[in-house]
Amino acid sequence: MDSSTFFTFATLFYLAAMILYISFLIFKKEAVGMAASGVTYAGLAIQTLALALRWIESYKLGIGRVPLSNLYESLVFFTWSTVLIYLIVEYRYKTRAFGAFVMPVAFLALAFINVADISADISPLVPALQSNWLLYHVLMSFIGYALFAVAFAVSVLYLLMDTEDRGPTGNLYLALGVIASVVALGYILTGMGAKVVFWLGVGVLLLAWFTYLVVAGARNRSQVYLFWSFCIALVAGMLLFMGLDYVLFQGRHLPAEETFKKHMFESTFLSSSRAVAVLCWAGVLAIFYVVWSQGLKLRTLLKQFLPSPEHLDDLTYRMIAIGWLLFGVGGLAMGAVWANSAWGTYWSWDPKETWSLITWFIYSLYLHARFVRGWKGTQMAVISAVGFMGVIFTYLGVNLVLSGLHSYGGL
Amino acid sequence: METQKGVVELVSERVWKFFSSVKLAVVLLIVLAIVSIIGTVIQQNQPVEQYLQEYSPATVNIFEFLGFFDMYHSWWFVLLLFLFTANLTVCTLERFPRALSAIRAPLKPIDDEALKAVPFKKELQFKGGADKAEARAVQALQSRRYRFLSTSSPGMVQLYSQKGAYSRLGVYITHISIILIFVGALTGAFFGFKGFLNLGEGEHSQVVYLRNEPMWDKLMSVLGVSKSSVIQDPQSGVARLPLGFFIRCNDFEVDYYQGPSGPTGMPSEYHSELTVFNLQGAKIFDKRIEVNDPLKYRGITFYQSSYGTIPGVNGKIVLNVRPKSGESKGEMVVLDPGGEAYVRSIDRTIKALGVSAFGARHTSTGEIRFFQSRNDELVNPTVGLEIYQGKKALYTTTVLKVDQGEPYMPEGYVISYVDYWGARYTGLQVTRDPGVWIVYTGFLLLCIGPIYAFFGSHQKLWIRIQDRKGQAVVTVAATANRNRLALERQVNALVEELSK
Ligand code: HEM
Repeated sequence: MDSSTFFTFATLFYLAAMILYISFLIFKKEAVGMAASGVTYAGLAIQTLALALRWIESYKLGIGRVPLSNLYESLVFFTWSTVLIYLIVEYRYKTRAFGAFVMPVAFLALAFINVADISADISPLVPALQSNWLLYHVLMSFIGYALFAVAFAVSVLYLLMDTEDRGPTGNLYLALGVIASVVALGYILTGMGAKVVFWLGVGVLLLAWFTYLVVAGARNRSQVYLFWSFCIALVAGMLLFMGLDYVLFQGRHLPAEETFKKHMFESTFLSSSRAVAVLCWAGVLAIFYVVWSQGLKLRTLLKQFLPSPEHLDDLTYRMIAIGWLLFGVGGLAMGAVWANSAWGTYWSWDPKETWSLITWFIYSLYLHARFVRGWKGTQMAVISAVGFMGVIFTYLGVNLVLSGLHSYGGL
Repeated sequence: METQKGVVELVSERVWKFFSSVKLAVVLLIVLAIVSIIGTVIQQNQPVEQYLQEYSPATVNIFEFLGFFDMYHSWWFVLLLFLFTANLTVCTLERFPRALSAIRAPLKPIDDEALKAVPFKKELQFKGGADKAEARAVQALQSRRYRFLSTSSPGMVQLYSQKGAYSRLGVYITHISIILIFVGALTGAFFGFKGFLNLGEGEHSQVVYLRNEPMWDKLMSVLGVSKSSVIQDPQSGVARLPLGFFIRCNDFEVDYYQGPSGPTGMPSEYHSELTVFNLQGAKIFDKRIEVNDPLKYRGITFYQSSYGTIPGVNGKIVLNVRPKSGESKGEMVVLDPGGEAYVRSIDRTIKALGVSAFGARHTSTGEIRFFQSRNDELVNPTVGLEIYQGKKALYTTTVLKVDQGEPYMPEGYVISYVDYWGARYTGLQVTRDPGVWIVYTGFLLLCIGPIYAFFGSHQKLWIRIQDRKGQAVVTVAATANRNRLALERQVNALVEELSK
């Protein structure tokens, strides 16, 4: 059997784990919870085996390299580290409440690889990538990303627990209206060739909102509620549409890297058909609406399972502290050492590097706000969520948005 | 006695205070993060024509004025970095003595007043009396490897211990690492340079072309202190820097990954054979460089970064001719494409019909297929040969760099392909960066510092055992500068053991 068979098994195990964890939340039977954990451990073991096999296969093909260097492998590894971190948290904190959130992500990511028939070929590496630093650099950055993802999930849960008051429905309509008009404006300005202005505007708007939340978040609960709904809608919407895009877009037969870098969202948000684009945005608004209006029910449901807010806060801190360290050392420093050994410059301010640094600065801010200014709770959770948006942008946005801004040459 | 403060002291006090503020750090971190975005949205260091395609002329002028096209080197961005580093340095210096005294301060027994202020404490009744309680506590501490002191006063024994005091240094190590990285980057900008050099096979050079001139040299020559060794070329605008030695490219090769039917078009490695000569022309050493494996000499590093074909230049075909039997290594024959040469050892004239960039032999039929490569990369150079005896054509054959089959060699010798030489150049990135080791030291400290800062904590623990009418009252109090939850877990476990 080859590695892909094992990956399929792992996917099925994660599906089972997801169903079990959700049933555990609903039926509250200890036995179901135990089964859920057991299945997850088994799934992780199978996936570990699959990763090892793939590594061996690459040697058999005479290429011999770490399974960490294309889209397929990075998605598989991301899933693997997320599940691993989840299990550690489950063990340390003795709570199975997060499983119902983490396992769907793990399952969807792996299933997505299968559905989208992302090329699983083991392709050789270009010369610049043939360095041991690649292993350390990619490995550590990915674990960092996964830790930030867990921190994000936990802080969103914190915010969810934090607020009973979602404010008047007017808030929701206002938010929906703002999103709709920003999007419309985006299409118009892009049509006029003023993409840069548009994206700078969106950036400023978001920053203003984040700043407001950090400064006044502890007081204005209804904005916090809106914020976490936004976060969940953003991530859920992105995952959903990325999947949809792969399924619909013929470009998936292009090499995966190419599709990923140049053609993402081309059959959904960036479709040449107005109707499709409008439908997609309507979908995003609908997700936002549902998340916002069902949030309180979710809160009631989760309240009995989650550890105390203090523990959630502490967990977020731990994940960020470790993630910050791994990302700083592995992502930034080792990336720099590697670049220096390959090209003779350890830092060249290219957009990916710069965004990694920005993300790292956001988390540095988190650490200082916590230790020097003694912040806790709501504001910390907001910064953690904003940091994760930085992560997403570093990982996807640099390819999607920034390279799209320039009519000449991609990145 | 009050002394009048001078203006200088007042100002420096103000400046110090300004830079020691953590608020400033937060503001600077945010500002740096935000302005860094600009440089990722606007492409950096492009030719003006490209900007004019993208933006209106007015916008280009404004951006030019603001330095947005080379933002990370603009004076205001560098100033921000300076401010940040000054802030970090002052902040660190300001707090360091306090941390040091917190580390050095000997632990004392705790009095009632101080005990009240400790937020985390537990009290329990111990049945067996004070002596037994003390024995139990000592045992519990020892099994946990606490080193502790004890004092006793009438009616009370105190055991107290601290650990992890040095973890207070973690923050400083981290901050110093960031300062070092910055200092290293500055050192590089002042005393280092970045340049490039394209060397054709067989060519040599004693200069490199600069992208960044060392700032120190520039500054000194502007101030008139010393003359910069950089040679300005007003025509091309590219400055040259003398190396002080010669570098020669003897050969350049690209290897390709092998597929089932010969090489694929995907490079697996580039390498150049380089030789360093001193100015008198004596050879110093050879090195074969690859991507990720540069040549270093006198602080200057040559990286394999690109390659290309020299326009309008034909290379030379290098062949090897050796007898089929025997150990002989044979001899080299050098031909121009289309040219011919008489080889005495076999008494034949070899004529090269031409070179094709990419050929592959079908393993069973022996037929050669030629591939159109998208550019003129020599994936698998293939040379058609015609062999003459005197003027009489004997046979034709084809030799390849990588051959899946056997070339047709009817006579008692073998001709094989060695190289197609002289048509390509190797692209070298040349740098001198004396600051890089400072930066790397910073990286190293960055690995260590945060581990202490995050995972260590300075814990203090007191156990007070008071005798109350034959019953012992044990009070356990603990503080930690960090990781309170972990401390509480540990103390709870300790208390549980004591109360068993
Ligand atoms: C990117 C640059 C920086 C990095 C990577 C960094 C890193 C850290 C880390 C890891 C900690 C320890 C957090 C903890 O206590 O667990 C810390 C604490 C601290 N940082 Fe920074 N820092 C940076 C910039 C600054 C700046 C510019 C200042 C100047 C005001 C500053 C002031 C402080 C202070 C006062 C503390 C707390 C020290 C204490 O706990 O006694 N940091 N920093």
